[in-house]
This record gives sequence, C-alpha cells and structure tokens, in this order.
Amino acid sequence: MPQPPIYLDHAATTPVRPEVIEAMLPYFGAKFGNSSSTHRWGREARAATDAARERIGACLGANPDEICLTSGGTEADNLAVLGGWRVQRGSGRNAVVTTPIEHKAVLASAHQAAKEGGDERLLDVDATGVVSLESARTHLRPDVAIASVMWVNNETGVIQPIEELVALAKNVGAVFHTDAVQAFGKIVIDAKLTPFDLCSVSGHKFGAPKGIGAVFVRRGTALAPLFFGGTQDRGRRPGTENVPMAIALATAMELTLREKDAECARLLALRDRLEAALLERVPDAVVHGRGAPRAPHMLSLSVPGTDSESMLIALDLQGVACSSGSACQSGSVTASHVLNAMGVPPELGSAAVRMSVGKLTTDEHIDRVVALFPALIAKARSMAGRF
Amino acid sequence: MTAKARVLVAMSGGVDSSVAAALLVRQGYDVVGVTMKLFEDGSELPDRPCCSLDSTSDARRVAELLGIPHYVLNMVDHFSRDVIADFVAEYARGRTPIPCVRCNTFTKFSDLVAKADGIDAQYVATGHYARAIDGELHRGLDDNKDQTYFLWGINRLVLKRLMLPVGTMTKPETRALARELELPRVADKPESQEICFVPDGDYVKILRRELGDAAPALSPGRIVTMDGRDVGEHGGFARYTIGQRRGLPGGSGDPLYVVALRPETREVVVGPREALLGTRVAASGINWLVETPPLAGDEVQVRIRHRAPLAPAVVEQVDDGEVSLSLLSPVSAISPGQSAVFYDGTRVLGGGFID
Repeated sequence: MPQPPIYLDHAATTPVRPEVIEAMLPYFGAKFGNSSSTHRWGREARAATDAARERIGACLGANPDEICLTSGGTEADNLAVLGGWRVQRGSGRNAVVTTPIEHKAVLASAHQAAKEGGDERLLDVDATGVVSLESARTHLRPDVAIASVMWVNNETGVIQPIEELVALAKNVGAVFHTDAVQAFGKIVIDAKLTPFDLCSVSGHKFGAPKGIGAVFVRRGTALAPLFFGGTQDRGRRPGTENVPMAIALATAMELTLREKDAECARLLALRDRLEAALLERVPDAVVHGRGAPRAPHMLSLSVPGTDSESMLIALDLQGVACSSGSACQSGSVTASHVLNAMGVPPELGSAAVRMSVGKLTTDEHIDRVVALFPALIAKARSMAGRF
Repeated sequence: MTAKARVLVAMSGGVDSSVAAALLVRQGYDVVGVTMKLFEDGSELPDRPCCSLDSTSDARRVAELLGIPHYVLNMVDHFSRDVIADFVAEYARGRTPIPCVRCNTFTKFSDLVAKADGIDAQYVATGHYARAIDGELHRGLDDNKDQTYFLWGINRLVLKRLMLPVGTMTKPETRALARELELPRVADKPESQEICFVPDGDYVKILRRELGDAAPALSPGRIVTMDGRDVGEHGGFARYTIGQRRGLPGGSGDPLYVVALRPETREVVVGPREALLGTRVAASGINWLVETPPLAGDEVQVRIRHRAPLAPAVVEQVDDGEVSLSLLSPVSAISPGQSAVFYDGTRVLGGGFID
C-alpha cells in the first residue's frame, strides 16, 4: 500500500477551507441575488457584499471603499499597474518602475504600458534576491507614475524592503503598488502602518477558491479601469459582483489572520527543518535567497548536476508535489526569470525546485521528503549529461 | 505482489499513442505518459511563451482517463538543435530532408530514452506502426501505415527496450479500439500528414525565418535543362525538390520535372520524366539495426521514399558508414536528403541518407 502523497506546493495554491465553503454555500442557493438589484434578493446580496468588503478591508487595515474585488491576483496586478499608469498618462509622469523578479502579471502589465508609450524601468536585484535601494533611488524620479514591487517573491520567498521603497516612491510623488499575493498571512500587511497606495492579494493562496482577489486602492488614488460597462465597485471594476466569492475571500482572510502567528511559527519550523536536513544530506545544494529575509513557507533550492524538470517528475512519481516556480500553461518547465535576475548561473537556475509548506504539511511529511531526497539526487546526478 | 515494469510512453495526443498507452495500462504495466514539447507554439507573442497546445491537453485527458501520471517534457532546445537546424541546413544545401528521421534518432529514441532512465522506466513506448521483436525492428502489420521508413536511425540497443503496441494493428483497428475505450477526442482525429513544426505546410516560411530572405537558397536563380538551356527563373532552389513539377515553366512539349538542384550555382535543373529514373542508390550516415549487416553482393529490398514500394537491389559496396546499391529495376526521383532504408522481408536491416 503506497503512502499518501505529500503536497509541498502551497505557494501555487491551497485547498479551500471547509469554513469558507460553508460560508459561501447559501449564496449559491437561496441567497442568489444580484447585489445591484432593488428588491429583497438584491438587498440581501448587497448587504453580504458590503459586509465582505468591510471584513476584507479590516484584514488589510483599509476602509471598505478602498477594497476593489477582482477575479484574482493577475487582474488585481493588471488593474493596479496598468490602470495606475494609464490614468496618469499625459500628466508628465510617464514611467513605470518595477523589478525583474515580479510575477508575470506585473511584468507583462509594465511591458504593456511600455507598448502604449510608457517608460519602463527595472530595478536591480542583488544575489540574494533583494531589490536594490540604491537602484530605486536612481530610478524613482519625479517622472514616475507608478512603482510596483512585490512584497514576497513567489519563487524564493524573499521579502522585499517595502517600507523603504514606499518612502522613496512617496518622496517623488509616485503611486506605489505592491503585489502581496505571496505575502498575505505570512507577514504584516496593514495599510495604516505602511503607506502603499495599491496592494494586490489572491484568495486561493490562503484557503479561498481560485477566482477571487482584491486590490487595495488607497483613497485618492486614481485607476483607469480595465473593464467597461457597469458602475459596480465605483466603476473601477464593472461586472456583477461575485457575492459568494467575496464572502469566501473575507472568511479566508479572517481565518488566516487569526491563525497567523501560530501558523507562521509552525511553518517556519517545518521549512527550516526541511532546509537544514536537505543541506545536511546534499551539502552542495544551493538555497536561493539564503541570507535574505524570507517568508516562512518557501524553500527554493538547486542541486548542481540535476534539472528541475527531471526532479519534479521524480518527486511526483514518489508522491511529492513540488514546483519549479514558473510553470507555463502546458505544465512544461521553463527557465526562471527570477533566478536569472539574481545572477544565478543558468545550469543552477534550471535545477531549481520550490517546496512550499502550508496547511497540509506535517512533521511526518518533512521526514519522508528528507528520507527520499538523497536517493533522488544520486539518481538525477547519475543521469547528468545523458540529456 | 510483484512490481510491474515501468514504461514511459510518448503521448502526442493522437489516436495511435493514446491507444498504445491504453493497451499498456490494460496489460498491467506501470505506465508514465509524457508529451514532448518540441517547439514554441505562438512564438509571435513574445510575452506568452506558453504552449496550450490542444494536442498536449488531449494527451493529458487521455492519461487522466487511464489513471496514469502525465508530464510535459520541455525538449525545445534539443529539438531545435538536432532537428530544425538540420532541416534548414539540408534545404540550404539543395537537399530534401526528412525531419522525422532525425526526431526519432535524436529526440524520441535518445533524449527520451535518457528521460526514461531518469525515472527508472525499463521500457519506452510510442504509437509507431512498427514492431520490435527480439531486439530487431520489423515493419508494422498494416502495410499502409508502416512507419519503419522513419525509424532506421535509432540506436539498435534501444530496440530491446522498445514497445510498439499498435504495430500489430491496422489503423482502422486502432481507431475502433480508441472508440471502444472511449478515449476522449482522439478516436476520430484526422491523420497528421504535415511536419509537426510546419503545421501549415509552408516550410519556406521556416527557412526564411532561420536563413533570412537574402539567403542563396531563397534567392532567384536560373532554371536550366539538362543540356544547359536556360528556360526561366525561379525564386529560390530551396522551394524545389527532385521530381517536382509545380513552379516550373509550362508551354509546349513534354512536361518538365526537377531532376537536380545545384546549390553552388543556384540552378534548378529540369528534364523529362525519364530523366528521373535511376538504378543506383548511394547513402551515407548508415545505421544498422541488425547484428550482421549485409555485405557486397547480398540482395536486399530498399525503400527510397515513404510509402514507395520496396525495390529489390543488390548491395554493391559497404564502407564505413556508406552503402551503395544497384536496383534491379529503375525507380523515379531518388532524392538526396531522403532516406534509403534496407529490408529483408519485414525485418529492417538499417538505413542511411541518400547522397
């Protein structure tokens, strides 16, 4: 009887929490109304959406009107970066400043702004994956419309110096966006403490379903909408509001924050034990972002003489689900733009395996992965050069 | 319970490899499905290097139905180097390449075998219409579908590890089995005839991309008759292949055929149909698939084009990696770059590239 498989890919997505499913269910059934309608069904839906918005806001230190609900992290990032740039077009602020380690949702938005005539600038990143403040000082000038830097990198888990970057952006009057998709629930995100203007989150990273996200929009921050047609969400995001998903996001955020300190301590212990044990058994393994502050749930490592694709397949065949960080739609493994930007040599970058612990991870999982890892590495290395 | 041997099966999403995978699952093997990603799909969108190829999705759905793991292997770099680059270089040299041969030789039955080793798969399976019997390669039972013409270049040692489950079936039988197994989408898929990385058949587009419009192979040149008469202009010799009629000046007299390409002078040589006939085949880059290759004086059958009938021939000379044969009766359009594959009945002896 084979042992049950191990899910070490919480940075990719997480299971929907039972409490979240329960909270959503009435809004697929009796409470099915459209929150724009005048009648009782509409009022019921409106009240639920407003309450959800308020709860989501509270989780981010924000007012309800500062929460814009989206279809997920990608839309949130697109709306923030592209919408934030487009609305300032022609105002003398034409530059969009971001980093080469962003999620493609941000990078592609910046590229799109450049195609539309914007001036795209990428900040430098050091070898541990931290954005250079020196480079930020150089590039953040009064012509910057929007700067966007992720809070936690989705491949390495490295935490970026958001406080300092926000201050630099504010100094030149630029709007500051942070992609907090990997950060929510792992570090403190509070709009009252940190003066970012825009901040994206994605529900399925912490127990809500795929298909719901939000962007915090500080009062006074203008965005050009991506969609057209309705007045929902103050016209920022037209489209019939997704009532059950709004409730799912609110519920998942509250649960996550309630458990945050204990869960982060647990994850950190699991991750650190995994990292130490793997390094002990494979001493030449390289942990990306080591030495930089890192979120507690992620471990990205490369073993010289192996490749990500073969490692992921071998791990999966042994029942261990990991990721290479950047999978494309077909599921094939492609080179990591993040590790490349950090100056990781290609042969090492192409060997990266991302393990992310979370809700499902237990001590026993870590033991099992550690136990099977050396043999996998030995096998992979014996194959080196064969392909 | 003894662990069943692991088989890595290459699944393209088509009916043949889907049925191959299904048959192996039915036989109780530990089957792992893979789809090779060989080139970027939609590379005209620079921000979207992704590959939501329908065929990959079909393979994944079949694997899911069969309850086997399925992975996409990124083999873009190697395929580009081993197959596409050679394809382009061959046209530039005035030859007519068969990329499928090199794909089988390098990609499927070398790189993929290395991947199989990496996951401790003892066997590698594909949906080819051919049979691997006792470490030798035989033609598939369906004469209409036999694909051994493309398989002569593979490492002989791989044959012992090769499983070709549909090689004993006819295509209609394969389709019927796909329907019976209710494999999603694949049973009635049309046959793929084109080269996979030239889906619209316009290989000149690939040559332009790789060589540039100004390349000699794509530059205008003269069309001349065998006795040196200039009969017109062409738009690049790489657009022509031996035996071709299309794209030649018409008019009075007998129809003209391309009988030779002269890359050094960029000339396309034309002549009457009879000029295409030949009785001598010289091939190089020979690979043998049998322990005892034929010797000078032995009689074999040779195929010089996919689906061409087997032609009886006598081996004239066997040198290091080179073979010349004399055909017992003339055949048409023996084209440099195509394969010459040698048979003894159903058994594939080996093959090479026609010079």
